[in-house]
This record gives sequence, C-alpha cells and structure tokens, in this order.
Amino acid sequence: MHIVDQAAITRVKEVAAARSNGAPSAATQPHADTLHFAVDKRAMRSVVEGLVNELQARFMISVGTDKRPITGDFAILHLFSLDADHLYVLLESPVSEKDLRIESITQLVPGANWAEREFRDAVGVHPEGHPDPRRLLLADDWPEGVYPYRKDFPYNYQPPPVENVRPQMREPPAGASVVPMGPFFPVLEEPSYWRLFVEGETIVGCDTRLFYNHRGIEKLGDSVLTYNEIPYVAERICGICGFIHSTCYCQSVEKAAGIEAPRRGRYIRTIMLELERIHSHLLWLGIAGHIIGFETVLMQTWRIREPVMWLCEEISGNRKTYGMNTVGGLRRDLQNQMKPKLMETLREVEKEAIAVRNAIVGDTTLQARTKGVGVLTNEWAKKICAVGPPARASGVAIDARIDHPYAAYDEVVPQIVTQDAGDIWARVLVRVGELLESIRLVREALSAIPDGPICAEIKEEIPADRLGVSVVEAPRGEAVHFVMTGGENRPYRWRVRAPTYPNLQALPAMVLNETIADVPITLGSLDPCFSCTERLETVDRRTNKIRIYSGADLLEISRGKGRRGGAS
Amino acid sequence: MMAWFGWVLLSCLLNVMLALFLSPLCEGIMRKLRAAIHSRIGPPITQPYWDLLKLLGKENLRSTGGVVYSTLPALTLGSLLLLAALIPMGTTPPLAFAGDMIVVLYVASMSSVLIMLVGFASGSPYASIGSSREMMMLLSVEPILAIALLVGAFKAKTLALAGIVNWQVQNGPSISMAIGGVAFFLALQAQAGRLPFDIAEADQEIMGGPLVEQSGPRLAIFRWALWTKQLVLAFLLVQVFLPWPHFGIQLADLITTIVKVVVVLTLVALIEVVNPRLRVDQAMGYFMRVAFSSLAALAFAVIGK
Repeated sequence: MHIVDQAAITRVKEVAAARSNGAPSAATQPHADTLHFAVDKRAMRSVVEGLVNELQARFMISVGTDKRPITGDFAILHLFSLDADHLYVLLESPVSEKDLRIESITQLVPGANWAEREFRDAVGVHPEGHPDPRRLLLADDWPEGVYPYRKDFPYNYQPPPVENVRPQMREPPAGASVVPMGPFFPVLEEPSYWRLFVEGETIVGCDTRLFYNHRGIEKLGDSVLTYNEIPYVAERICGICGFIHSTCYCQSVEKAAGIEAPRRGRYIRTIMLELERIHSHLLWLGIAGHIIGFETVLMQTWRIREPVMWLCEEISGNRKTYGMNTVGGLRRDLQNQMKPKLMETLREVEKEAIAVRNAIVGDTTLQARTKGVGVLTNEWAKKICAVGPPARASGVAIDARIDHPYAAYDEVVPQIVTQDAGDIWARVLVRVGELLESIRLVREALSAIPDGPICAEIKEEIPADRLGVSVVEAPRGEAVHFVMTGGENRPYRWRVRAPTYPNLQALPAMVLNETIADVPITLGSLDPCFSCTERLETVDRRTNKIRIYSGADLLEISRGKGRRGGAS
Repeated sequence: MMAWFGWVLLSCLLNVMLALFLSPLCEGIMRKLRAAIHSRIGPPITQPYWDLLKLLGKENLRSTGGVVYSTLPALTLGSLLLLAALIPMGTTPPLAFAGDMIVVLYVASMSSVLIMLVGFASGSPYASIGSSREMMMLLSVEPILAIALLVGAFKAKTLALAGIVNWQVQNGPSISMAIGGVAFFLALQAQAGRLPFDIAEADQEIMGGPLVEQSGPRLAIFRWALWTKQLVLAFLLVQVFLPWPHFGIQLADLITTIVKVVVVLTLVALIEVVNPRLRVDQAMGYFMRVAFSSLAALAFAVIGK
C-alpha cells in the first residue's frame, strides 16, 4: 500500500482551515488514505473552491444521508480524490431540517451537476444556485416532496400513480428541429432518452432524460439486506462489471471495519478484475464496430472473447456474476492446477487480440469515421470529472489501480495507457492498449500469487458509524463505493457511483457540431452502462394471451406488477 | 407482327422472371459469404425467399393513408422490373425499341426517388433524414453511371445499349471502358445500398431510414425491389463492360452472364464486410472524386484508347 505523504495531509488541512471563513473544520482520518472534514455548510463552497483550485482535487460523488436518527440533521458529503497524493478527501456538512438548503458547487465543479440533483431527489436537500435543477433520479410521476432515501421512508412504499406526466425537456433553439434518440433505440442496450436538436444533420444541442429504471439498490442495502448479502446484489448492479462492484463494496466495508483481506484473496480479486476488463474491452470493440456497421469486427472480437468467458465459468461456476466476493476476502479459491490452462488461453487471446489490433490500426475507413469525431477536450474532461478510458484518451492520466492501489495492484503494477487527441479513435487505441496490458497483468499475477487463506476471519461485529471509501478501476472507468456503517448488521448508508455517471455528463459537449451519424458511435465510445449508472434492472414478461393493450392498460399492468413485486 | 410481339413478350417475361426470382438467391449467397467471413454458419442461401414469404403473409399496416402512398411499393418494384426489360441479360434488351441509354438512366433512378417519397410521406424524423441522405447519394452517384455509360456510347457511336454491347464484343477490351467499368462498379456498391454506402438505411443511426415505417407485405416488396435493383444493375455492368466471352448461343451466353453477375455481387459483398459505414459527407466527397476520375475514361475514349 502507498504510504500517504504526511505533507499532503498537512496541505489539505491548511487549505481547509484557510477557507473555512472563521468556522474551523474539524478533521479526522478514518483510514490512512481518507481525510474527513466536518465543514459548516456556509463554508462548503469556499472549501471546495480551495480544494479544486489549489490542490487540483477531483470531484468523485456527493452523498446525501438522512442522519436525523443520529444527529438530528441531514448530512451532505462531497467526496474528492487527490490522485497524485493517493488521498481521498471527504467534506461533510450537516443540514438542518429547518433549512433544507446548501450552496451548490456545480458552478465550480461542472461534474457535480447530477450528484447534487440526485441528493435533492433522494433526501430533499436543495442545492441552491444549481444551473439545472430539474428532476434526475425519480420517475416523472413520483410525487413532489416524497424523498425515498430518507430513513422514515419504507423501502417498499409505492406512491399513488399520476396520469399524463412528461419528462421536463428543454425546447430546441430557434430554427432547430428535434430528432429523438431513445428511450429505446437500436444501438442503446438500455433505455436512455436523448433529444437531439439538429439543423439539417448537424447537432446544435441536446437534452437528455435518464434514470428510467432506478432499482433503489442503495435503499435495499441500508434497510433490508445485511453486510454479507449486499455483495451479491452489488454484483448485479452491472451485467458486465459485476465483480468490480462486489469487490468495491467489500473493500469499502473492509476499510470501514479495519479488516485486512489476505494476500491470496487480493491476488484472486486482481485476476478476476483483469479478466473482466479483457472480456469487457473485447465486447466494447465489437459493439463499437457494430454501431458503425462494421459487423466483421463484432463477430470476430466476440469469438475471441468467448474463451475468456469459459475461463471465468471454470473458475467461478458462472460466465458472469461470479458470487465469489464476501466481506473479508473470497468464498472460492482459484485452483492451482488451473494455471496452465489459464496461461494457454491467455496466449491464444493475446495472439488474436494483436491480430485484431493490427487490422484495426491499419483501417483507413475506420479512422475516417473516428478521427477528430466526438472530441472530449482535456480541459472539459477534467472539469466534468471524466474517468477511465474517455479521460485517459483526453490526456488525463488517472487510473484507480495506480492512484489508489487496492487488491494486489501494489505488487502487480499496471502501465497506464494514455492518448492526447481526445477523439473516438484515441479511445479505441486506449482500450486496445489496456486489453493487452490486462493480459500481461493476469499473467504476472498468476505467477506471483502466494499460497494461504483467501478470506479473513471476522470475529467481532462491525462497529457502527465508521466510514469506508473504495474505488475499483472498472473497464469503463473508476467505480466508487462509499459505506457508512450502521447497526443491525447493515450499512447506515451505502453509496455507489458507477464510471458512466460522470462520463455520460460529458456527452452533450462531445456531440455538439457533429452530425446525427456520429452520435451513436460517440455515445458508444464512452462504453455507457446505464444499469450501473441508474442501478436498475429490466424484467422480461411473457404472455400467451392475445390482447390489444392501450397505453393506459400497459401503465396499469406495470403498476400492478410493481405492487405485487414490492419495491420497483 | 404477331411473331415479333410474341418474341418481345417472351423475352420480357424471361428478363423479369430472372430478375425477380434470381435476386433473393443472390442475396442469399451474399449473406452466406458474409457469414463465412464473420466465422458464422449463416442462414441457408434460400433464406431470403422464406423472409419474403413470411413478410408477405403478415398484416398490412400503414402509418399514413393516400392512394399514392399505398401504391409506392408496387411502383418501386415495377420500375425495377421495367429496368430489367430495358437491359440485355445474355441477349438483346427485349424493350430496346422503347428506349435507349437515356431511358435506362431515368428508370434506374426512379426507384431511389420513389423510396425517397415513401420516406418523406411516412412522417417519421428518421425516414426524413434517410430520404434526404438517399437524395444526396443519388445526386452524387447518378453522374458516375451516366459518365460510364456515355463512354460506351461514345465508343460505339450509338445510344442503344445493344449497340454498345455489340461494339464491345467486336472490338475487345479498351482502357476507357475498363475505367468506366470500375467507376460503374463503385457506383453499384452505393446503388445497391451496400456498406460502406448503406448510409440512407443506416440501421444503427436512423433505424432503416426511408423504410423505417414499412412492415409486412410493403416491406417485403421494398426488400424485393432493392435486391432486384442490385441484380439488374450487376447485369447491366456485366453486359456493357464485360460482355466476353460471347458465344452467340443464347443459353450459353445467359449462363456465363449469370456466373459473372454472381462474381460481381460476391465482390460487392466482400467490400461490404471489410468496411464500416461512411458518413454521408464523406461518401459524397468520395463519389465526387470517382466522378472526376471517370472523366478520364471519356478522355481516353476521345483519343481512341
């Protein structure tokens, strides 16, 4: 583990003290790499300004918590990362029930836009001076003034239905017309609604409505489930990077409770995480090819990907959703006799991945479609707090595996892959580079893996009121889990931020002045994962009866189903 | 007189039937080839026939009314069958007396215009975008077809297609006709709506473009029309630019022509699998360059090469 430099901690404390407007901020250090400040809410904006401007802190996420049962107030917590100093900085500020307002920081940190709207929707603390205070998280027919993440809100409560509601969407600028993309669209695997404002084929603006299927997983985590049940739900946040979320959750609880996972367990986590990156990047390459009509790339990359899925199945019993993680380590060991087979498959995959890379790099038509298209500038990538390959392709050299080493990444050190152009082509190159790097990492981890236990024994109950912040570098970027421990063997608050959450916010700037033809591939180049972002689930429904359903019927059915099935 | 009329009717029927019933087979072969390069097994080559049958048996839904709108699929297919009767398929064109190269060019672009109309009429933003893309593609590809055929007309000193074919058979290959043929082939890729030029349909961007609102029998007829179009244009290419070997025996000529057509369509499918879709502005720029290059063929024709 990196030892956090004492000088960095002192610097942060100085900035916080200087910016606190006379009301000094109380600092604690819940974990070696985590600094927590209790900030007065009137000083919040100025402390944030100090962190961002003087220390180049990167905003990660905000957490709105209903702490009324403990302190009598709500709490708003902004999470920052000082990547170069390997340090997390948490700014927490109590908000009294009598004055449910806090100054918005979105003007300072554009990347905080959604996070602030989300805590407004979730617990009802209003970010004052927010440039776009429309609803984000809650459904359009959700009643005003009902805040689902408050502690007095039962997890299975269903508000009465409302008729004829529409998302609040912006009108197009004069002279532009609207081309809708979504909520269901061929190249979007999941629902998201983009309203493109176009003149001819050129995009002059866009508006978006997301969070169509919020599952309320966080609410389940702090009201129904227990510490050791959550990893399985966390793994189902995403269909592709499931292991990432369960690892990230387990690590945050381990940090909060002071549990040290054994080395072998950490190595196996590293191997599984990198295998997920390999198959996810191959999947992405295929989908990107499909979006621009290059089906050969789709078919070939998915063929190459298949042996990796079989490997995962052999290791864990499942192609995806391994169910291997638990608080303290792993439930299932990696059999040593599997090593030769793993190495053999990696060799094959590497050979074919290199062939694909060579084919792609020399393809001029592919470059014509991706070079100079969907550019995310370095400056805006930093401001919007982009993460993962989109950030690295814009020259922002951040990688959670290096900045906040976890699992076995302190010993198996990845090489960061960056590009400067910021266009789709750069994102292709970054992902292809990472794919080959991941193969190397799995190989290295396999040869260095120590023997020993895979799970720590937890004898005592996890103490209440501890904080744990953990990140995992998912294929799409950095995933963040924040846990505040509570009683009854479950977290008091569990907050998940998937990498697509900040990256999607960068899209409107990326498609501006591009053509309609470029929007799908630009969106695709972020490798968006809406279910992670919204923490949602889709349900298949089959019926044998033939009947014509009206819109109202469908609404009624969906509500009836919701009522029967409990939480939606 | 009656005998002549009977002969015209018979050869018209032959061309039309050939175009109608060979086109799904060619599509099936192209699909199979694509699957092979994708490392897939792929559908059986008769699948397009079953697709048509299935679609024809479905409910006829229309997003908008109007006599013109409801007849557009039939008109589109009809225009292409007319085209089939106007061009030579292993023999002289059955309707040669009715029109020359100029008529062929007009009839060839009719289907694009009709599909454009159906797009604009269906009242969907995707269809409108698709139709305007179709128009841009038509405007940039049509001149190339015209220039390529004009080279032949210039060499043979006739506007009649049969005359050009005859001249080709008698005089053998020439540089100008070779360049014209290549240009025609590149334009064929776009006319057939094949990648990298399936820009007007672009499933992943605008969900099928002009045809987004079409389903059931209407979609079946549009599909059939598009498959027929690629086949008929391939026939035109093969006959005008590659008429050799010419045996003078009708059946033998017909069979060699069909073999050559399948080879041309195989090439079209090969180009399709190794390319992503271009943007409409990129495609227009590309065809602008092709059009200027094909002018070189005219220059060669003038100096008698």
